[in-house]
Amino acid sequence: MMDQELTHLIKMTNQIAAHCAPGEPSSVAADRAANHLTRFWAPSMRFQIKGYLLEDGSLLDDIAKDAVSRLA
Amino acid sequence: MLQYFDPRQCSNPEIDYGTPSAQGVLVSLTIDGRTIEVPEGTSIMRAAMLAEIKIPKLCATDSLEAFGSCRLCLVQIEGRRGLPSSCTTPVEQGLVVQTYNPRLALVRRNVMELYISDHPLDCLTCPANGNCELQDVAGEVGLRAVRYGFEGENHLAAERDTSHPYFSFDASKCIVCSRCVRACEEVQGTFALTIDGRGFDSKVAAGQDESFFDSDCVSCGACVQACPTATLMEKTVIEQGQPEHSVITTCAYCGVGCAFKAELKGDQVVRMVPYKGGAANQGHSCVKGRFAFGYATHKERVTTPMIRDSIDASWQKVSWDEATTFAANRIRQIQQEYGSDSVGGITSSRCTNEETYLVQKLVRAAFGNNNVDTCARVCHSPTGYGLKATLGESAGTQAFDSVEQADVIMVIGANPTDAHPVFASRLKRRLRAGAQLIVADPRRIDLVSGPHVQAGHHLKLLPGTNVALINALAHVIIDEDLQDQRFIDARCDLEAFARWRAFISEPRNAPEALSAALGVPAETLRSAARVYAKAGNAAIYYGLGVTEHSQGSTMVMGIANLAMLTGNLGREGVGVNPLRGQNNVQGACDMGSFPHELPGYRHVSDDQVRQVFEASWGVSIGAEPGLRIPNMLDGAISGTYKGLYCQGEDIAQSDPNTHHVEAALRNLDCLIVQDIFLNETAKYAHVFFPGASFLEKDGTFTNAERRISPVRRVMQPLSGKADWEATMAFSNALGYPMAYQHPSEIMAEIASLTPTFSGVSYQRLDQEGSLQWPCNDAAPSGTPTMHVDQFVRGKGYFERTEFIETEEKVNRRFPFLLTTGRILSQYNVGAQTRRTANIGWHEQDLLEIHPHDAENLGINDLDAVQVASRAGETVLTALITDRVQPGVVYTTFHHPESGANVVTTDNSDWATNCPEYKVTAVHLKKVERPSDWQTEHRAFTETQVSLLTQATKRALDETA
Ligand code: SF4
Ligand code: SF4
Ligand code: SF4
Ligand code: FES
Repeated sequence: MMDQELTHLIKMTNQIAAHCAPGEPSSVAADRAANHLTRFWAPSMRFQIKGYLLEDGSLLDDIAKDAVSRLA
Repeated sequence: MLQYFDPRQCSNPEIDYGTPSAQGVLVSLTIDGRTIEVPEGTSIMRAAMLAEIKIPKLCATDSLEAFGSCRLCLVQIEGRRGLPSSCTTPVEQGLVVQTYNPRLALVRRNVMELYISDHPLDCLTCPANGNCELQDVAGEVGLRAVRYGFEGENHLAAERDTSHPYFSFDASKCIVCSRCVRACEEVQGTFALTIDGRGFDSKVAAGQDESFFDSDCVSCGACVQACPTATLMEKTVIEQGQPEHSVITTCAYCGVGCAFKAELKGDQVVRMVPYKGGAANQGHSCVKGRFAFGYATHKERVTTPMIRDSIDASWQKVSWDEATTFAANRIRQIQQEYGSDSVGGITSSRCTNEETYLVQKLVRAAFGNNNVDTCARVCHSPTGYGLKATLGESAGTQAFDSVEQADVIMVIGANPTDAHPVFASRLKRRLRAGAQLIVADPRRIDLVSGPHVQAGHHLKLLPGTNVALINALAHVIIDEDLQDQRFIDARCDLEAFARWRAFISEPRNAPEALSAALGVPAETLRSAARVYAKAGNAAIYYGLGVTEHSQGSTMVMGIANLAMLTGNLGREGVGVNPLRGQNNVQGACDMGSFPHELPGYRHVSDDQVRQVFEASWGVSIGAEPGLRIPNMLDGAISGTYKGLYCQGEDIAQSDPNTHHVEAALRNLDCLIVQDIFLNETAKYAHVFFPGASFLEKDGTFTNAERRISPVRRVMQPLSGKADWEATMAFSNALGYPMAYQHPSEIMAEIASLTPTFSGVSYQRLDQEGSLQWPCNDAAPSGTPTMHVDQFVRGKGYFERTEFIETEEKVNRRFPFLLTTGRILSQYNVGAQTRRTANIGWHEQDLLEIHPHDAENLGINDLDAVQVASRAGETVLTALITDRVQPGVVYTTFHHPESGANVVTTDNSDWATNCPEYKVTAVHLKKVERPSDWQTEHRAFTETQVSLLTQATKRALDETA
């Protein structure tokens, strides 16, 4: 079972990706979502979501995946 | 010649001028030989008072319009016949007035004699002795004898009504001046009192001749304040006698931030009287600030520091030194084992700005990370995010005064008569004067329809559809070409506007398309949009019904868009106004309580800003954001987050998904709680720092209109330390020295580091009474209205606000929507108000359910109803009412055992993680007994209380 923390992070990332720049081209949306994650998420959270994308990533929506892959 | 331009400002709040101030061109007149200039519309009585000439009066007081019934204030005007009453006669150019001559004296004495003939002469034992206007006036007019005797018909044996917990009504002392009746109407807007009967038989009656307690009275105290005699009198004064000195301070309950005179005997508060000089409340109050202060000296206050090794162990009472050393050692051990980021802090919206500032400083400088958050996370964090993105500053745009200029008032997801009562009174006054009202709320709040107040539109939208609403309204404005294009062209980012315009014009944003989702007819939406757009001055006031949603931030941006679109920003009477919940939630946000922001809303990644703080604090500050409360809790559950310093917050009760919060708290190795009571969170704590109530410390609070008001100490801290001193001691134990002698030094540091506060100091606050930030060289007296010539961000930014439905939807398993709120007599988690007589009005949290739904489910009033969501279940008592709509149920969360947050989920606002308290899909079922959680909670509470009692006993044994 996936831990609760990661479940939350995935849900939040999808939510941010969906709300951050709705209606914009997906690369713009991904860019803004990545920027949001950088400005508001602690590094440890970004680290976990990046890890998840590398390992599996299946529960992340497309824009969310793109956004996470843009994280430094 | 004496001149008075702006009477409100030049008048002395300690003096009763008899009638309200007026604004108009100046006219000059002569009173008793002195020439004075006052604005047209001023009464002769007020003009005389301004010239320091006191005319006897009984039925007049300057919080009320003149009434002219007592006939004591007669004057003689040259060239006019008769003796007009000075309170009802306005000044005129060139009048020559006499306030005293033998004829006037005689008439006044006769009037007074009549009053006294029907008044008990027990002055020496009367609770108003020394503070009675009737006594004073009798003295002023030189009454020496009463010729009528007391044998005739009189009211001396009239019964006393003591039903109200805080004041009594002694009809025998009533002079039927009707000040109370008018105060209830004009000041409070409740219309609970009437004068019953006529002539000699007339008397004051509450409601339909009910007792005060059973009437519509909302206990604001305005009538007590207005009463010139002992008729309406605080019970504390009856019991303790007249206070002998007073201190001006600020209410510690809600975000209105009312100024009060704490009236004392020694260090005992006898009563709290709303202070006329307070800019936020102008002499008005509500039941909480006025009467519910007894919690401050409640026997359940914990006043000694305590420690324990585990939450199953009994508490040990220790010295401050031991407690802070114990806490510091634990935190350092955790950091050694789990890393520097494994600990953090939560600042309090209940504490002062100075205290909040210190806690975030402690976290950043002594813990060495940015893991600091505040309870605003769970209420108004979307306001900060949304307003910053669109307008450029994370705060409301107006002063409360602004409502007096509004032509249309739109209230969205707020319940001001319950949650912000004093502001609600000002708002209702404006509505009675003719402003139009639009209410957007799933529930029929009191404002929708009340005495002399009727909302033109009640948009009864379904919970979770706010953004659809705001989009539909904006769509109509564009569709019908009602926008203020000149304002947009001059003030807003036009590229963003063009993009937004294309989006909002899409047919899917039309009321006709959204009507079904909203549950509001399209034509109603159109007509509301027209009213708002064509108003002239339209103001939006909103509350947690806007922010506490998965699209909370989006909705805030939508509100800002709507205001920009119609040019309703940057002057009086308009604006975007968040009604803040807790007394200092604005201040807590301002003071850098968020993990990504330093004081003054500046991002931690900004090198220049960080350098300023680093230089002052002598440490290096991380450039990356820290953890928010929900992230801390997640970390606690997964084992990476181990230590928390929580000041004056009760996250175990106030945060959503109680199961999750409790599991997280149990997992911490060191939980330090600082509070005045052993609150729900403290039951999971290892260290308890006893907190100080607002009466025990100096500092400042910042209210919803960005007004910084002084809080002043009236008694010594019961625990020996005010909260800022406790934080200092903890910091010193951690090895990061803090050595402030007084909170004014902390404010000086804040001002030196924060450009929007650079003009704030205790000295300036003493001079001005209060200051609205930004307060600096550019605005030395503060800023009542923001964004006047341009937006703080430069050009206003239209953010696209796509309506995306929440995941929390009704389905077959969970067919109802639960939404939550507050009521007047209780405050938030209720820790204070539950410990006062206010409990009489709200003994338990009730579940409001529509009659149709109740019938279908076989539920009757007062039945136990199980409320289950995917997060958890609890049992509440049913209240059947058509205030809620079918399919929607509603409850408050003032009592911990209700477990309303056992049911709320961990859904949250996408941008800020503000929990979605306002929408939970639930299942309802009639049951016979409490839920498992409630049973466990009761057992756990009993254990924790006994662990506390053991500590108390042990301490007694040791001293014995
Ligand atoms: S306490 Fe307030 S609401 Fe109650 S009767 Fe007096 S003025 Fe009216
Ligand atoms: S109760 Fe007080 S304020 Fe009201 S009519 Fe009587 S004397 Fe006047
Ligand atoms: S309105 Fe708010 S600030 Fe004013 S007295 Fe009531 S609780 Fe206190
Ligand atoms: S004070 Fe003017 S008539 Fe009573």
